[in-house]
Amino acid sequence: MELQLPGIGEWVAAFLTLCAFSFLYKDNILYRFAESVFVGVSFGYYIGLAKINTLEPNLFRPLFGNFGEQWSLIVPFLLGVILYLRYIPKLAWVSNWSLAVYIGYYIGVNLLQRLQGEILPQAKGTMLPLNVGLWPTLCNLVVIIGVVTVLIYFFFSSPHKGVLKPTARIGIYFLMISFGASFGYTVMGRVSLLIGRLTFLVNDWARPLVHGAFGG
Amino acid sequence: MNWAHKLLLIDRRIIFVVVFVGALIPIIWPIGLAVQISPPVKAVFDRVEAMKPGDAIMLSFDYGPSDGPELDPMANSILRHCAKKGIKVIGVSLFPLGGVEMAIARFMQLDTDLKARNGIDYVNLGYKDGAPAPMKAMGDRIESVFPCDANGVPYSEIPVLEGIRSYDDLELAISLATSIIGEWWINLVNAQFGIDVALGTTAVSAPKYYAFMEAKQAIGVLGGMKGGSEYEELVARAYPDLKGLSRSATMGMDVQSVVHLVIIFFILFGNVMFIVTKRMTRGAN
Repeated sequence: MELQLPGIGEWVAAFLTLCAFSFLYKDNILYRFAESVFVGVSFGYYIGLAKINTLEPNLFRPLFGNFGEQWSLIVPFLLGVILYLRYIPKLAWVSNWSLAVYIGYYIGVNLLQRLQGEILPQAKGTMLPLNVGLWPTLCNLVVIIGVVTVLIYFFFSSPHKGVLKPTARIGIYFLMISFGASFGYTVMGRVSLLIGRLTFLVNDWARPLVHGAFGG
Repeated sequence: MNWAHKLLLIDRRIIFVVVFVGALIPIIWPIGLAVQISPPVKAVFDRVEAMKPGDAIMLSFDYGPSDGPELDPMANSILRHCAKKGIKVIGVSLFPLGGVEMAIARFMQLDTDLKARNGIDYVNLGYKDGAPAPMKAMGDRIESVFPCDANGVPYSEIPVLEGIRSYDDLELAISLATSIIGEWWINLVNAQFGIDVALGTTAVSAPKYYAFMEAKQAIGVLGGMKGGSEYEELVARAYPDLKGLSRSATMGMDVQSVVHLVIIFFILFGNVMFIVTKRMTRGAN
């Protein structure tokens, strides 16, 4: 495979990656420069993205191109505009109307979502049969004991004395195992990020650079 | 301060250098360790494998560039799998910081790898703000959320979308997700519209999704780079002609294995040194 010399994009990405890595030595101006570039670019990108992908196709084009049929879009359009009135102190209170609609909608969606999509199915997922053969029954028993003991650990309405004390203790062990699993996965996730950047530095920047400079 | 104390207070930058070298070596000289397949990944593969040519799935790119090393390989493998099976792929993105760019890059990769055709074999509908609202609205009519694709082509003029109105016309929704968006695909889309959902997640998020899978709210989970490497392996086994294509997660797992050994070594080393210094202090007293 023929390797091309790294382009300007690869050089910029490699430079910013190395700037970010420099924090491992100690905090420095290059790291803070990369951090600031990231924040600024992300913000600019998000504004452009929202305009091109959401505002234009879903609001401006239908509203101004076909007002007769899509006139109702003027309501969310105005709600969006008045949200920015919070920057005019005398009219700031008007923006609360938009916020009220926004919060009201998401509370409504979320309530149903959590109840129908999480609490009930997860509770149902804990009601497991205990007569399905030795190994599956054992697995189901672990799930049931885990859920019950962890719930008891988080039950603070009465002191953890008597039978509650050893039960809550078992709950802690379940939590510790779960934290351990989460930590293991977190390490894998963080190492993956390192792999991503190192693979880029080696395969997309350094290797073509070396091949370009020395041939071979 | 004795030798054990000195070792216990080793400069963290030395550890960084060891991890860095441990990660760099397998990238330059891959080891090629074997990949073991786990049931949650096999379940997703089998579900896609069981589909007929012409069936459609929704693939949601709910991640940004920082999650690319973990989720890009999953996207590549799933897209290749679908292309080989003749399954239509409807790409969407609900993650603001780069989701749509990740989708564009993956579909371009698919074009290069397998000569898939935009608009005929797949479509990239682009990004929409406010994830739960578009998710909910797509249950009634996808076109109301995505009136055109990412290139501005109207929904009604895209051949691959013919006959696809809502989730009812799809066989499966797969979300490649970071943050909370994957949960919404389960607790909103699966719960309210009944469509099967599979998740490809970053390793950090993976543990919580196994609970959803155990409760049969998700058909399977691809957890982190490991999940991606397993799907790559399954696709390569099923379609040997794809073996030559890039398998970055499989290569990445070589690095993971070496770096994990380094980390395990340092954890054991730290604990042993801690016990030794404790005993030395007790002995001195």
